Amino acid sequence: MQNTIHTLKKGEKAIIKDFDIEVIPLKLLEMGCLPGSEVELLQIAPFGDPLYLDINGSHVAIRIETARQIEVVLIKNNLQ
Amino acid sequence: MSVQNINVALIGNPNTGKTSVFNQLTGLNQQVGNYPGITVEKKIGFCKLPHGIKANILDLPGTYSLNASSMDESVVIELLLNKNDKLYPDVAVVVTDVENLKRNLLIYTQIKDLEIPTILVINMADRMETKGITLDIPLLEEKLKTKIALISSRKGTGIEDLKNLIVSYKTIQHEPCLNTFDIDPEYFSSLQNLFPNQLLYKLWLVITQDVNFSNLDRNEIRNAFTKSHSELKRLQQKETIKRYQFINDVLKDGLKIDASMAKDIRAKLDRVLTHKVWGYVIFLGILFLIFQSIFSWSTIPMDFIDGTFASLSSWAAEELPSGILTDLLSQGIIPGIGGVIIFIPQIAFLFLFISILEESGYMSRVVFLMDKIMRRFGLSGKSVVPLISGTACAIPAIMATRNIENWKERLITILVTPFTTCSARLPVYAIIISLVIPSKRVLGILNLQGLTLMFLYVLGFATAILSAYILNKVLKLDTKTYFVVEMPNYKLPLFKNVGINVVEKTKAFIVGAGKIILAISVILWFLASYGPGKDFNEAEAIVKERTAGKQLTEIQVENEIASQKLENSYIGLMGRAIEPAISPLGYDWKIGIALISSFAAREVFVGTLATIYSVGDSDNEATIKSKMQAEVSPSTGKKIFNFATGISLLLFYAFAMQCASTLAITKKETNSWKWPAMQLVFMSGLAYFVALISYQLLK
Amino acid sequence: MLQEIIAFAILGFAVAFLIKKFFFKPKKKKDCGDGNCGCS
Repeated sequence: MQNTIHTLKKGEKAIIKDFDIEVIPLKLLEMGCLPGSEVELLQIAPFGDPLYLDINGSHVAIRIETARQIEVVLIKNNLQ
Repeated sequence: MSVQNINVALIGNPNTGKTSVFNQLTGLNQQVGNYPGITVEKKIGFCKLPHGIKANILDLPGTYSLNASSMDESVVIELLLNKNDKLYPDVAVVVTDVENLKRNLLIYTQIKDLEIPTILVINMADRMETKGITLDIPLLEEKLKTKIALISSRKGTGIEDLKNLIVSYKTIQHEPCLNTFDIDPEYFSSLQNLFPNQLLYKLWLVITQDVNFSNLDRNEIRNAFTKSHSELKRLQQKETIKRYQFINDVLKDGLKIDASMAKDIRAKLDRVLTHKVWGYVIFLGILFLIFQSIFSWSTIPMDFIDGTFASLSSWAAEELPSGILTDLLSQGIIPGIGGVIIFIPQIAFLFLFISILEESGYMSRVVFLMDKIMRRFGLSGKSVVPLISGTACAIPAIMATRNIENWKERLITILVTPFTTCSARLPVYAIIISLVIPSKRVLGILNLQGLTLMFLYVLGFATAILSAYILNKVLKLDTKTYFVVEMPNYKLPLFKNVGINVVEKTKAFIVGAGKIILAISVILWFLASYGPGKDFNEAEAIVKERTAGKQLTEIQVENEIASQKLENSYIGLMGRAIEPAISPLGYDWKIGIALISSFAAREVFVGTLATIYSVGDSDNEATIKSKMQAEVSPSTGKKIFNFATGISLLLFYAFAMQCASTLAITKKETNSWKWPAMQLVFMSGLAYFVALISYQLLK
Repeated sequence: MLQEIIAFAILGFAVAFLIKKFFFKPKKKKDCGDGNCGCS
């Protein structure tokens, strides 16, 4: 099961792996959402949508349908 | 005497304080207009620089990249590709902020690649300490090939340095940051060979963007080099990656963050403000506070304005030489202008609050909280601001929809915003409520009149949301939905920015709506003061004959003559003509006239009744309300303004599209006739129907 | 007499203004782009 931004839990950090650029708007890339960037899920809106993220230092909110398209690899966090 | 005049373009991401820099450079020497043919704001200001140099400062719309994803952003790229534009900059100033430097630098590298002399401004220097950030400016200047001004627009520091840098713009290096070649050597070397005289990066932008390039036809370039849409996108992605690689490289040594020093207020505030329960509670609380304040604070200035214009009107009637121009002035023009000015307090206050919420960063959290709910109705989280703004005036509200990326969501927002209870409906509501709703208390504390008003507000919102739902199902528009909202850091709003923002929005209302309302007021006055046929022209004789045997005072005879004239004036005839259509709604021909004129602007209803009663009665200062209360139907002998008619009128005004100015702005923002026409037909039809049913049920 | 002239001139302006506002085609110099301005 692939991890996407959608499957992240609040406070989890991950590295962006890949995504289909046909579906992701260029603007998101320009905000710093690139393969290799670090992403952290900061808040989830009350109905589960949108998601408030810290991508590569940029604080943005995106909807779930976009989040679902972005594959990530979790960063194992030993410090809790 | 060498007085030079240079063009300076201010560019940068939103939320970097670019506007503050603009305000600090230009003070109040600003002009806001429109770019020709489109609805994007053009902000130009004027600044005196050292050494006698004068600068035209153009504040371009905030943008994240030259790859335009909205109309705002396409303005930026069009300007920068066109050397012949008279606003083409001699020097570009890219404004960034210390906390988001990495992302802000993307557009910096793009501008630099256009080989325009570019100065980098790093703003919010006052935040560096609390965030534990240190910058190696000389290193950054070297690697970014520019000169840097480290400023704090909040504290006002660094602006003089910036001015000096602008003055010596010719000394800045021209080298680009990214070698466009490197994106894809094969493709780009062929491209360059074909057009050896053009800047490679410029060519690339023309191919990937839908903009006009003055020197070369876009199609010429495209036809010379066909690449599929996906391939182009892939190259754009590569370009973005390369740029970020460059930026990361530069910042690795140039920017250091000592995390132990950073205090994170943002996270704490976010936790509360986006909480699933508290977030909404706080938002509703803030809304309530706003509306309360607006109502209580604006009554004093409004009463003052009202009184002033009434006096002005009497003064004009008494002091100016008598004649029709004086009548037009005192009865048509002055009340017309007064009718527009009186809304300024409410509108200004509302925008004051909205502006503060936006400047502080809170609005983005509201958008975040509301997006999912709004989507269910075909709207976007970003529709919240227009819908709230609509309670002041739909015109600036509709303009505020420009930042909604999805066309369908934006269109629906534009179409339903007029249902929200705008300020213009209030005078109508107020007078009708005070006439037909008893001033009783319900449950001991709730005022019945106040409750009715609140109900009408809720009705407005509910209808807006419901219509959005229906439109969402009915409109077949195929648009890709994407939603990317920056969540800026919280900051204390700068009074200057808020102030200038409020002035701009209020001006938009006055200029947008004011001219139309005034024009219609003039026309209405003429229609009420002239009439065809001898019933009008020989009014005096007719009345004298009619009242010959009765014992009437001079004033009473004058009133009769005025009434006769009014009934037979053009507008009187129009009112009588529609009477059969509106009597099932409980209205008589005088209300009919007021209804017709309200199709210009709703608040004109009260003013028109004032005109009708004062034109029909030479006493200009009698209270409208007592006139209306006394008004009795000639056929039934019963009061005209009874409960059923009152309710029917309230509902009619809640739903009807009665604002020519709104139709005008809808036409402008949607670039078509179709939508305002649909608004007019649908809303007025709904209003008629509901008013009809309610009158018939209640009478 | 002068009053009449001025008053009717004002009327003329008012009518002309409204006609212009509502029946005038906004001039567009460029393409809209990717459908964001609603030409579709």
